[in-house]
Amino acid sequence: MKQLMEMVFQAEFVASVIRITAPILFAALGAVIAEKAGLTNMGLEGMMMIAALFGTLTSYWTQSWAVGVLCALLVGMLLSLMVGFFSLKLKTDIILAGIAVNMLGGGGTIFLLYMFTGMRGNTGSLVSQNILIPTLEIPLIKDIPVLGEILSGHSLLTYLAFLFVFLLWVLLYKTPLGLNIRAVGENNHAAESVGIKVRRIQYIALAFSGALAGLGGAFMSMYYSQGWNSGMVAGRGFIALAAQAMGRGEPVGTLLSSLLFGLAQALRTKASALPDISTYLVSVIPYVATVLGLVFYAAATVRRVKKARRPKEEAEEK
Amino acid sequence: MNNKSMKDRRLQVFEILRGAAAITLALAVATVFIFLCSDEPFTALKYLLIGPIVKDNGGFNTSSFYTILAAMIPTIFTGLATCVMFSAGQFNLASEGCVMAGGFVGALCGIYIHMNTGLHAVVCVVIAAALCGLIMLVPAILKVKLGASEMVMSLMMNYIIMYVVLHFLNNTFADRSKGSTQTYPFDETAKIPSLVPGGSKLTWGFVVALVFVVIVALFMYRTKWGYTIRMIGINKAFSEYSGMNVGGVIVLSQIIGGVLAGMGGSIEVLGRFNTFLWKELPGYGWAGVTIAILAKNNPIFVPFAAFFIAYLNKGCMLMSTHSDVPSEMIDIIQAAIFLFFAAEQFLAGYRQKLVVRSAQADLAKTETAEGGKA
Repeated sequence: MKQLMEMVFQAEFVASVIRITAPILFAALGAVIAEKAGLTNMGLEGMMMIAALFGTLTSYWTQSWAVGVLCALLVGMLLSLMVGFFSLKLKTDIILAGIAVNMLGGGGTIFLLYMFTGMRGNTGSLVSQNILIPTLEIPLIKDIPVLGEILSGHSLLTYLAFLFVFLLWVLLYKTPLGLNIRAVGENNHAAESVGIKVRRIQYIALAFSGALAGLGGAFMSMYYSQGWNSGMVAGRGFIALAAQAMGRGEPVGTLLSSLLFGLAQALRTKASALPDISTYLVSVIPYVATVLGLVFYAAATVRRVKKARRPKEEAEEK
Repeated sequence: MNNKSMKDRRLQVFEILRGAAAITLALAVATVFIFLCSDEPFTALKYLLIGPIVKDNGGFNTSSFYTILAAMIPTIFTGLATCVMFSAGQFNLASEGCVMAGGFVGALCGIYIHMNTGLHAVVCVVIAAALCGLIMLVPAILKVKLGASEMVMSLMMNYIIMYVVLHFLNNTFADRSKGSTQTYPFDETAKIPSLVPGGSKLTWGFVVALVFVVIVALFMYRTKWGYTIRMIGINKAFSEYSGMNVGGVIVLSQIIGGVLAGMGGSIEVLGRFNTFLWKELPGYGWAGVTIAILAKNNPIFVPFAAFFIAYLNKGCMLMSTHSDVPSEMIDIIQAAIFLFFAAEQFLAGYRQKLVVRSAQADLAKTETAEGGKA
């Protein structure tokens, strides 16, 4: 326990929390914007997998990480629009359409990788340092003793992930598009009756959602695990859905819950290095944290609703 | 009355044709991919489509056919589990985890409880099923009491179950004398006996699965509970206002799902293996979702859907051994089937035309009948 404590109170650990949070945050923000438009993007997991694969492949083909990231973003967006086409146009249940994308992400990616390169399961030898997303040293801050180690030297996309929390908040609450998205999610019939093009807004929200998942995928394959492999995303898309639910569907709340998962994941990595601790039980930490978080959030909501009702009922009784 | 049933029959035929169209379309997508990536596309296609039941010399491949039937055992159970839960509008995806938990607990009972042949296997399966029913209480009660999403909860639970099982497998119950991680072999008495001779793994579990198809079908379409489950799935608010015990039935549907999945997992492990050796989630839960979609949540169609998926799986496996197309093709086919099959509006234009035409025909008939009277 003491060893663990020592590990946790180190700048390097905090930096690792930030690094681990970033991909979850991307996907969770993707879940937020879709959910705001009243759509559950179940396919985040698969979108991340497929985008991650195409990110690595295109960056290898063009030898440019920027093209890779862009391609991952576009692939995520296209997949999300495909989910949109099937659920909005052909009326497939959106959760089922998402599960289909996850299937594509699970086995389909292995198939695609084999088809394009003849490799099985991972892209190991394709990846070289110059096609990974570069890290950024922030001038001035990097020279501050502890803070510098924590905040500086992350990848470009890590900063972007945290920046997107703010950008998404602005988009949702300070722009007409955001107002439309929220209106559609709140009550799409009402939105339609005041002339909002519901279908178009839903497609736009899904496109954003997929693009964010794509960035999360790119982060995974082009920075975090330095290459694509079939077990890479490992439920992060699902955790992102949980983070969205726990963050009450708001960008800032989702940031906090994503950080919680990042922390749990980082703890797991640290604790599994200790002797006498079952790696399997430690692996459970992030998922248990998710369940507990959801339960506490749901319980709090129920209590709030009850509280809000009680005075009213008392007044009626009198 | 007659006219109406004619229209219904037309629609039914249409539904079947639409399903066939969705499957054909998915196979067409597969074919395109095979031609894109393979140097020997015709060999690949041959093994995918007819390989599972036709021998190289053209004869019927009985042992392969039995293997397909054997592969259906766990997926029939997960398919049924998913049918019941989806019918109640509960997107609970924890049957994946329940299969693993059920298999593990079933195996442990087979190792550490000693009993007579016949009774032993039944006790193992019942304990496993009961435990999985209890596991499903977690997402079910949280959903009903707190409104927590059963979908997210069940997804997280799959991972928790997997790691907890692996923990106990590795640290408590592992047979250290073996090279790979596995438990001790379970008693002969706990094994589910084979249905046919040979190494096909087709056990009595298959019969049990079919029996449960009938039981679940009767439950869903002939009992009050089943009716309530389906009604909640169709219109929850209506069910509430008409005084149905919505919360209780939502919990019940998920317990049934857990019991069925746990049963499938334990029967699979006790029938197929001598010891518990799964090191990751076996994937039967997700297969169950596909099967429930193909069966349109109707238990009676589950065995057919399970056969179809098992057949495709076998085909993909053969394709990857006999040609240069990887077996993961199955996921692309499944995803395509999934998308089109679940699409309500797929070919909706034709459906509309069909309805209009039937109505016109009916109208014309009534008019002539009335004209005749007059």
